Amino acid sequence: MVNLDDTNKEFHNELKNISNNDELTNLQIKYLGRNGIINDFLKKINDIPTEEKKEYGKKVNELKNSFLRLIEVKRKELSEKKSDKFFDSTLPGKTFPIGSLHIVSFAIEEITKIFEKIGFIRVSYPEVDWEYSAFEALNMPKGHPARDDFETSYIDFPENLKFGKMVLTPHTSNGQNREMKRVGKPPIRMINISKCYRPNWDATHTPMFFQFEGLCVDLDINITNLKGTLDYFAEKYFGKGTKTRLRPHHFQFTEPSFEVDVTCTVCKGTSKVNENKCKVCKSGWLELGGTGMVHPNVLTEGGIDPKKFSGWAFGFGIERVIMMKYGLDDIRNYYSGDIRFLEQF
Amino acid sequence: MILEIITAEISDSWNNFNMNIKITHNWLLDYLETNANPDEIREYLSLCGPSIESVEKIGNDYIYDIEIISNRIDYASVLGIAQEAVAILPMFGKKAKLKSNPLKDLKFSKIKEGKGYDLKVEIRNPDLVSRFTAIIYDEIVIKDSPDFIKDRLAKAGVKIINNVVDVSNYLMLTFGQPIHMFDYDKIIDHRMIVRESKKGEKLVTLDEKEITLPGGDVVIEDGSGKLIDLCGIMGGLNSAITSKTKRVLLFVQTYNKSKIRKTTMTTGQRTIAATFFEKGLDEERVEATTVTASELIEKYCQGKIVSKIQDIYPEKYQGKVIEINQEKFDRLIGIKIDPKTIITILTNLGFSVDKKAEKYFVAVPSHRKYDITIQEDLVEEVARIYGYHNIPSLLQPPAYVEQPKEMENLFVFQNRIKTFLKHLGLNEVINYSMISKKMIEDWPLNIKDHLRLSNTISEEIEYMRKTLLPSLYKNIKENTGKKETLRLFEIAKIYIPRKNDLPQENYNLGIAVNTDYFELKGIIEAVYKELNVGSINKLPLPKITEKNNVFMAEIDFQQLIDNYKQFPKYQPINPFAVIKLDKTFELGPKMTYEVIRSLAEQSKLMQKIEVVTLYENKLTLRFYYSSTSRNITEEEAKKELEKI
Repeated sequence: MVNLDDTNKEFHNELKNISNNDELTNLQIKYLGRNGIINDFLKKINDIPTEEKKEYGKKVNELKNSFLRLIEVKRKELSEKKSDKFFDSTLPGKTFPIGSLHIVSFAIEEITKIFEKIGFIRVSYPEVDWEYSAFEALNMPKGHPARDDFETSYIDFPENLKFGKMVLTPHTSNGQNREMKRVGKPPIRMINISKCYRPNWDATHTPMFFQFEGLCVDLDINITNLKGTLDYFAEKYFGKGTKTRLRPHHFQFTEPSFEVDVTCTVCKGTSKVNENKCKVCKSGWLELGGTGMVHPNVLTEGGIDPKKFSGWAFGFGIERVIMMKYGLDDIRNYYSGDIRFLEQF
Repeated sequence: MILEIITAEISDSWNNFNMNIKITHNWLLDYLETNANPDEIREYLSLCGPSIESVEKIGNDYIYDIEIISNRIDYASVLGIAQEAVAILPMFGKKAKLKSNPLKDLKFSKIKEGKGYDLKVEIRNPDLVSRFTAIIYDEIVIKDSPDFIKDRLAKAGVKIINNVVDVSNYLMLTFGQPIHMFDYDKIIDHRMIVRESKKGEKLVTLDEKEITLPGGDVVIEDGSGKLIDLCGIMGGLNSAITSKTKRVLLFVQTYNKSKIRKTTMTTGQRTIAATFFEKGLDEERVEATTVTASELIEKYCQGKIVSKIQDIYPEKYQGKVIEINQEKFDRLIGIKIDPKTIITILTNLGFSVDKKAEKYFVAVPSHRKYDITIQEDLVEEVARIYGYHNIPSLLQPPAYVEQPKEMENLFVFQNRIKTFLKHLGLNEVINYSMISKKMIEDWPLNIKDHLRLSNTISEEIEYMRKTLLPSLYKNIKENTGKKETLRLFEIAKIYIPRKNDLPQENYNLGIAVNTDYFELKGIIEAVYKELNVGSINKLPLPKITEKNNVFMAEIDFQQLIDNYKQFPKYQPINPFAVIKLDKTFELGPKMTYEVIRSLAEQSKLMQKIEVVTLYENKLTLRFYYSSTSRNITEEEAKKELEKI
């Protein structure tokens, strides 16, 4: 018994003198390690008379727990205590690689997810296609201005007797006819995101760009549904409270056709920023892109009876929505490969 | 006549580049009677008709900047906007009506014809010009225009020249009908032959540019056989009005729109007149324009009519009627608009409506004959004037459409690998799908194996790429000096030509680093591990290309998807001891890591190998030996290692 008390005193003395973690660990091993003092006491239990064994075991255990507690307290003290060596906790942490995704990849993923939630599936169709899918099937017959050399990039390739010349798709709308034919019969809920091409390269145009095309065909699809979908998208993508409006417009493959505006992301549709006129928008609105009710000729060409089914479609520029959302307005940076642009996202 | 060149584009796909015109509020009030103020006009018209992009107050007038969409050239004028306003403003509780209707009020009978001069006209092909109207004036005095014309044109952004030119421009903006004036005495024999041009024929236009014609263009030659007009686009310099001009031929025409479009695009002469004519103009407006022109020429240019009115108009618009049911309106709009409102809207737009039971018989006015052809066009007219803002917003009922697995995989895996590489510290880049001939030949690849753009706008983007690496190589080179270490990747389609078919479009993953071989190899191995593509059928590593210290590799993305496994083959946790042994080898052509590895793997107890250090050609490896059925001894492991 005396032994235990001495040990306790000794432990306290040693603990008092401990000034760093290494010493503390050594102390812990000395007393509590596999071959430590406490274990020695436990091994000696056989030498204790039977009637005292219980009491002895209890005491040793109490001692052990008390040591553990004290060591923990000390460890805490030590960690709080400023070490002698200067420790600068304001230094940056260890560097891990970060990398970056292209801003367009972010937008594509975000848009895909927004439409996925309302049952729209993302599809993949050719970027190099026949004139048929890019024009005829979209109610743009031969001689239509959009088919000029100035508006569409053509491929030097023998003309197909049935489908015409080979083109780089000037819009994602070639997916409309292809999706109609793929599903055979409505319902259709398509989101087609792809590269598009036009022979135009200046401060505000790149010869390659991204569009996302929505197409919904079903029984009784009407203008209210198009408005509902656009409102849903605008709120999800640009943020709560974003409103949309439709203005009359003209596209060959929709009738009626609209242009969609959304409330300006900068002035929130008020057209005023700190009492000054908003520099970003036209009276509170920003132009998003084109949309409309699918033209009956387009449905017929896709093998769908326009007397029975109706639909809506839209096509927006990815770069445009990025520009509206984040204000990244120099489109030429997008595809220049400049690391100073890329690594920011 | 000087025609300002504007950048007007057509509306085609979802991209739009439309033309804009400017008119003033007071000018509009010449034709429109309304109690709506300019701001109200801007707001209401933009919602239901032409977009008025801005209203600017200058002096006691306001300038409207108006976007003209490609199928509505009929409203690209003061009169056209007034016609729209008459239909739109009443829906917002505003009064609006036309003060006078020029189309009804301004008839040729108002012009007092003269005599003494004439013009012999021959139209070789009636398909070229749908209406041909001309009058000759004598004693013309070229001078300044009256103030109101100068003022309005200036506000519309049109250059002021002289009374004759200004009157032409003024009328174009008033009625949307471009007109032209010739110096009558410069037309040899006073004879005009309207015909198609032959390829290579030349003509100098008013802007003193010599135009070589592609052939099939609408042109006019005079009695001497020389060309004097590139119809619908610009007059010839040889018949132009100058300060010495005495007699003027007023010329008001409508042309075959596709011919004009083709000529203006191929010659690059994008004049305002062309942007009107190429969209198809209303023959019925020619008369009102001519009558007003005549009035202004007499009043402000002192012209005296010295001829009869020449009006060749073989195919007068007969009108057409579209039948449509109430149900069609309801179904497409999604709400019921009452028949009275439908009739009011259409009537205010100039249609005549006859309703029998549920059926409407709608007669289309001449100025809308090109853009109103089917029932849906009428639905659009009713819906827009009723107001899209008055139609509710309601998501369609859900429907399940199955996404084809191969499409789903493409996007899911692309996103996963992009994110994975980003977290490894790589930067994603997106390059153009087209590259230059030089990039292909320098690689080197055969130019003949690539698809070529027949109308490329730059040599830099002439060929569809078959590999992503030249672009990535270029990225690294162009970023030199901007950042020390560069690790780039791109996932994009490559285009492999096929015979008589569209090219095969495959997604590839390209990676390029400017560090070293093993870093790139490590990145590829990490991708393989992430997708477990090595675990069942070992997918071989792609070739690593080195060029000027840039290390690059390219992987067929579909192969990654095809070989993907969610997890490697499951191994029960081995409870038996693992013996770790290190051994150093001297590397040489016959003693490569690959040789050592395959030798080591011949042992059934071999679990894995790790590289510990590589110093010069001394490679230290750590071998893990273990059995799944018992504890092995160090001696056993050493024996296995010695076999190597």
